[in-house]
Amino acid sequence: MTLAANSATSFPSSTAQRAPSPRPRRSASTSTLGISLITLAALIALWFLAAHFEWASPLFLPSPGEVLTQFSAVWADGYANGTLLDHTLASLTRIAAALGVGIFLGIPLGLLMGLNRWVKGIFSVPIDLYWGLPPLAYLPLLIIWLGIGETSKIVLLSLSTFAPICFAAQAGVRSVPAERINAALSLGASRLQLFTSIILPSALPEIMTGLKIAIGAGLSTLVAAELIAAQSGLGYMIMSAANFLATDVVFVGLIVIAILAFAFTSGMRWLEHRLIPWKGKI
Amino acid sequence: MLRIRDASVTFPASDGPDVHALDHVSLDIAPDSIVVAVGASGCGKSTLLNAIAGFLPLSEGSITLDGKEIVAPGGDRGVVFQKDTLLPWANVLDNVALGLKYRGMSRGERHERSRRLLELVGLADFAEKPPYELSGGMRQRVGIARALATDPKILLMDEPFGALDSLTRETMQQLLASVWAKTGKQILFITHSIEEALMLGTTIVVMSPRPGRIVARFDADFVRDFAERGDIGPIQSHPRFIELRQEIRSLIHQPEGARTGTLQ
Repeated sequence: MTLAANSATSFPSSTAQRAPSPRPRRSASTSTLGISLITLAALIALWFLAAHFEWASPLFLPSPGEVLTQFSAVWADGYANGTLLDHTLASLTRIAAALGVGIFLGIPLGLLMGLNRWVKGIFSVPIDLYWGLPPLAYLPLLIIWLGIGETSKIVLLSLSTFAPICFAAQAGVRSVPAERINAALSLGASRLQLFTSIILPSALPEIMTGLKIAIGAGLSTLVAAELIAAQSGLGYMIMSAANFLATDVVFVGLIVIAILAFAFTSGMRWLEHRLIPWKGKI
Repeated sequence: MLRIRDASVTFPASDGPDVHALDHVSLDIAPDSIVVAVGASGCGKSTLLNAIAGFLPLSEGSITLDGKEIVAPGGDRGVVFQKDTLLPWANVLDNVALGLKYRGMSRGERHERSRRLLELVGLADFAEKPPYELSGGMRQRVGIARALATDPKILLMDEPFGALDSLTRETMQQLLASVWAKTGKQILFITHSIEEALMLGTTIVVMSPRPGRIVARFDADFVRDFAERGDIGPIQSHPRFIELRQEIRSLIHQPEGARTGTLQ
């Protein structure tokens, strides 16, 4: 009674239920795109008007034209010991290093904490303790310990990206449905197979969510840290400009940070779509 | 041959006495038979299945499959769950092939075998689809194909059609009857529907709650007819069918105090 011999005559597909008809593909992002673009245009128009009629002193609110001029000036000639590209790259390098540390330490440790009671018991207390602190509160301590250079900033940023990634990986492991594990075991999965084929992919949506939180936390910590203690980076550029009331340069810095944040968010959305297309469908 | 001897499962309760989810149950499941356990919620039928699957340790007694004691989940017992447990990141074909992959079978071989099983359950055209694009009934078929792929000695089915609408459910019962007729697998099937139990079972065991026990056992043979004709109507109007349904219904709905006298 092997299956091979018997499966020649198949169950008639005519009685098969039809697959659910595909839903019309108009996602929320496309249907609101037009509205969002109009809002953006309206905001810029308002800025033009406010600057043109000088609702606020030009010292406080530069016109879009001035900001654009300043943008190309900062791009070409630089401001506060570096061009716009230098500052942007300095900031990006720091956040990339911090995300790297957060991912390479946070994911494995988080997975272990989700799998093992001992690991969770040992590590959850220190992580909970420091994660509750505002990063800028312990930045001075890190500077005392590690100096004013790059190390203290990267450690600070890594701490702020590590915790959300670690928590997410842990939550991901614990969110694996028990039936899914039982199903794999009764299909003969070994412990290693169970981990690689079931637990890890099941935890992926949670890990992606953690990564998004980590990017947000990293970005805000980054700029704040650069405002306080740095010789380069977008935060440093903004702070230097503010000291000389160069509001147009402050605007340039803010716009670049907004573009970076938007790029990160879009990139993550794209990655989620590629890696976990099933999210929200089961 | 699956042999259950004096199997008991006791859960400690936070308040009051321990819960006897399963109380000294003995049952044999012979090759080529479908044993259906039917009963109200809490009668221990799912506990019984989970113990056979190895998800739950016994407090007392033993369960052996072909003489080998069951201590943990394993590939010799295929399980079909009420809720589908397909992996959303793999397509239908790879889901069916999962158990074969665990055994280290080559990609080509396991895909070929999985395609034959998808044909068996009428889903050959859906091999490349992700599971979430399938209807509930189709997902359960994939679940059945996946459980059969590793050629287990026994198929354990825990209310697999309980969440389906009644029309889909009928189609699925017919599918299972035909799969059984073709493969001759021994099956333990859990349900709370008396009609389903009678349509599918070669042996029907009626269970009662608090403590979970087998209170009666019937032999039936409607499933062969069902597999051949594929039509529920004439079988359900058979006098023997109606008689058994009435008998089982009265056993299940009996007040708890009166049941003690009717054991076995």
